[in-house]
Amino acid sequence: MADTAITVHHDEHHAHEHHGPQGILKYLWSTDHKIIAMQYLFTGMFMGVIGAFMAYVFRMQLAFPGISVPGFGQVSPGEYNALVTNHGSIMIFWVAMPVLIAAFGNYLIPLMIGADDMVFPRINRLSYQIFLLSVIVLLASLFVPGGGFGGAWTAYPPLSAVGEYNQTSIGASMWLLAVALEFIAFLLGGINFITTLMNSRAPGMKAYDIPLVCWFIVIASILFMLSVGPLIAGAVMLFFDQTIGTGFYDPARGGDPILWQHLFWFFGHPEVYVVLFPAIGITIDVIATFARKKVFGYKLMLYTTVATGVLSFFVWAHHQFIAGIDPRMANIFTITTLLISVPIAELCFVIIATLYGGSIRLTTPMLWALAFMAEFLIGGVTGIFLGASGADVYFHDTYFVLAHFHYTFFPIAIIGTFAAFTYWFPKMFGRMMDDRLGKIHFWGTIIPFNTIFIPLFVLGMGGQHRRIYNYQHFPELAGEGMYTLREIATISLLVMLAFQLVFFYNCIMSWWKGPKAPKNPWNANTLEWTTESPPPHGNWPEGLPNVYRGPYEYGHPDREEDYWPQNLPA
Amino acid sequence: MAFPKPQATLRSSTGIPTGRLAIWWVLASEVVIFGGLLGAYLMFRLGHPEWAESAAVTNTWIGAFNTFVLLTSSFTAVLGHQAAERGDGKQAAKFLVMTIFGAATFIGVKSYEWWYEISHGYTITSNGFWAFYYTAAGLHALHVIAGAVIMGFIAVDAWRNRELQRVELIGIYWHFVDVVWIFLFPLLYIAK
Amino acid sequence: MAEHNDKHGQHGDDAHGGGHHVDYRKIYLTLLVLLVVSVVGPFFEILWLTLITAFGIAIVKANLVIQNFMHLKWEKRIMKWVLATSLVLMFLMFAGISSDVMNHEGSNWENVAAQAAVERGLAAAAGLEIEEEDIEPVVVGFNARNTFNLVCATCHGQTGDGTGPAGAALDPRPASFADPAFWTTRDMDRILTVIRDGATAVGGSSLMVGWSASFTPEQIQQLADYVASFRPGA
Repeated sequence: MADTAITVHHDEHHAHEHHGPQGILKYLWSTDHKIIAMQYLFTGMFMGVIGAFMAYVFRMQLAFPGISVPGFGQVSPGEYNALVTNHGSIMIFWVAMPVLIAAFGNYLIPLMIGADDMVFPRINRLSYQIFLLSVIVLLASLFVPGGGFGGAWTAYPPLSAVGEYNQTSIGASMWLLAVALEFIAFLLGGINFITTLMNSRAPGMKAYDIPLVCWFIVIASILFMLSVGPLIAGAVMLFFDQTIGTGFYDPARGGDPILWQHLFWFFGHPEVYVVLFPAIGITIDVIATFARKKVFGYKLMLYTTVATGVLSFFVWAHHQFIAGIDPRMANIFTITTLLISVPIAELCFVIIATLYGGSIRLTTPMLWALAFMAEFLIGGVTGIFLGASGADVYFHDTYFVLAHFHYTFFPIAIIGTFAAFTYWFPKMFGRMMDDRLGKIHFWGTIIPFNTIFIPLFVLGMGGQHRRIYNYQHFPELAGEGMYTLREIATISLLVMLAFQLVFFYNCIMSWWKGPKAPKNPWNANTLEWTTESPPPHGNWPEGLPNVYRGPYEYGHPDREEDYWPQNLPA
Repeated sequence: MAFPKPQATLRSSTGIPTGRLAIWWVLASEVVIFGGLLGAYLMFRLGHPEWAESAAVTNTWIGAFNTFVLLTSSFTAVLGHQAAERGDGKQAAKFLVMTIFGAATFIGVKSYEWWYEISHGYTITSNGFWAFYYTAAGLHALHVIAGAVIMGFIAVDAWRNRELQRVELIGIYWHFVDVVWIFLFPLLYIAK
Repeated sequence: MAEHNDKHGQHGDDAHGGGHHVDYRKIYLTLLVLLVVSVVGPFFEILWLTLITAFGIAIVKANLVIQNFMHLKWEKRIMKWVLATSLVLMFLMFAGISSDVMNHEGSNWENVAAQAAVERGLAAAAGLEIEEEDIEPVVVGFNARNTFNLVCATCHGQTGDGTGPAGAALDPRPASFADPAFWTTRDMDRILTVIRDGATAVGGSSLMVGWSASFTPEQIQQLADYVASFRPGA
């Protein structure tokens, strides 16, 4: 009967309420956005462990060349290439995106806008299933004859197109297929997020009453949708080159490898902002809650982010400065690249202004949020060196680039994730995490993070190039000093990985035996804190909330308490 | 098969019905996919004047006929939308079936066209022009097939006077498939 | 009940049917006429006319379909902006990439391979017999020593003794051609086989790959001769 179309009669809907599938089927077949979010979260975190293991292996090889790495064995050159390729691909496509966008987007958006689910729950489920398929294809690619793809996550042809060159022809095609499936999953998911945010807000929630984290996740989804198209076209062309022998990227057949580079980076650059924006959104929401202060310049932040997103389409060829592009283009891209640092800097200032005068509570989520800003700032300023095409002639493909993007990606994918996870854990799992263990984990992650990557800046400036499996073969890079720096980086990584055990222990013990979480343990304003922890199916079975004010009314003079939830009538 | 729609689906803060809003976003992403592919083709085509010889082989009459078929199917699709607006599910379903029939004709003609070209030695690996020809038209054809399949499900629902709003939505998608072909036709057939 | 089957949610003023009356038949017939014009255009063999009728008309046709069949004319402004943005991005992409891909030469560079491809294609089109020597070769002549130093020496060393920088980490180590013991069990046939098909073809390690995809048989023979030159007493 099509007359479920009757609008907004929550009591009738309540009477028809479905509880969704039960038992094991709940996890295979559920369309509830919270379950799907958990699926993305756990899959993403699982892939994070795999990506981290790969980093462990290749860093051991780099610091102690030729050793038999515990848990892996000796690393051959081909295996090294496969490890770095898949580490990069996994961390971006199968950790950062699923956790920051798919998991937290799915979980938070309906809750924060006062809806009972996403607008297309079945497409939501389909998007996870396609994503899971992409995970399976990628992991399978590591075990086929030849091993995992070894042509770098950027997959430049002819290396990526010709099996004889990359020596991993089956792995290469499976990798490409996995990436394509992941793109499709996120296109489908993105449509859900955008449509839900645009249309399904609680009565009374105007555009500027939406929490910034929701805005930023949706802006990221839009950025993704608009930039991935040309790469999908390019990937189809690369797949044909790999499998049926077309010559789209083969110069001898009239093709052009530079075309792939352009298509890849036209997407690749906006992609870094696709993962950045959700992390910033999370940071802002956490900071507002724990500074007990309204965000300084909500509209400023929003429009700045939109401007950054637009500008991000104009900078892509800074990844190709020494690839032989037209030098006039290089000039233009240098200017735009340097320009894009301005809105990001502005976001930093807005966050500082938000903190200023606030009543700061240094809880674990707050520590992560503050660390995000500090570390990302370092990453951002080192990008300026790289954006200047003259300097980039030296820096391109050195470890300076690598340290730069780890100083940006790590805050995004890891620090941002931990900020969100520790902040919303009570809501998601109904228990409070141990704050002391959280802080130990925090310091045990942040300090080694810096001691891993600062040496890599130095190595990069010293001329150490990327994607080389053994620097002992190059006399100018095999000196004592450089060797020591590599050792420091690797040992720091081991320390950091060890501290992650604290996190896992904290998660499991808190989930099992932690104190039960109230509805609103942080005294925050946004709608997700007005329902049970964890929320039931349908989020507010007794009736969806209405909204009367913005999301950051902390310390309002008209109130006795220092917070003012969005759903309380005036 | 009543999947209970969440209240989220029924709301409309923008005034645009949710389904239609979503379809527009689907189209926006498809524009950049096809735009990327066709843009790449254009760059190559302009840089390779010798492709004109291969381009001359494509049969403009078949291309024109297929354009006619798709335009007509767009026409029947929008008539189906008109019928759905009136609440006439059965009529809408009939128009959708006509559109699907148009899709089938298009695919049939294309299959013949490709069989002819392949059997005369013009395969996807022959040269750059043919690589783009088969890839672009092939990607388009996949969208035609997928659209026709979904349209079939919607037609079944419409026949039973269910979910009539989806007739408009699949129509919008269908018109987009038509628009892509409107550009493919001159690119691959007329510009010789 | 029929009205409940319409759009869910608020009924905005853009409600289909209420307000805009489109004569779909007229639009359709216009489209067909335009189609005929665009097919006929090339017959006049005037380039600018063909371009206008082909692409200009395509733009007009697409616009008619988008505005009237898709009802974009009556849609809320936000969606027009979104679609316009995706279109603008395509122009941006074209502008940024075409200077590298479309051109085959610049102020300091030439895309030799592409130029050769264009020449070959045009010559074939003109029905000219293509002499391979007529077209400037893409690669300069093959030199076994240079190739060995570029490709083989990484493992086998420039002096062929198996001490190349990459060879140090391999197990088994690369063969040393300067070792007399090596030559007691190899002949030219075996050397050729290993270079061509890889060591696995003779039961050896997969670390020595085959190069048949990269070199012609003549080139492989030259490489084998060069390898033989390392033999002590050669």
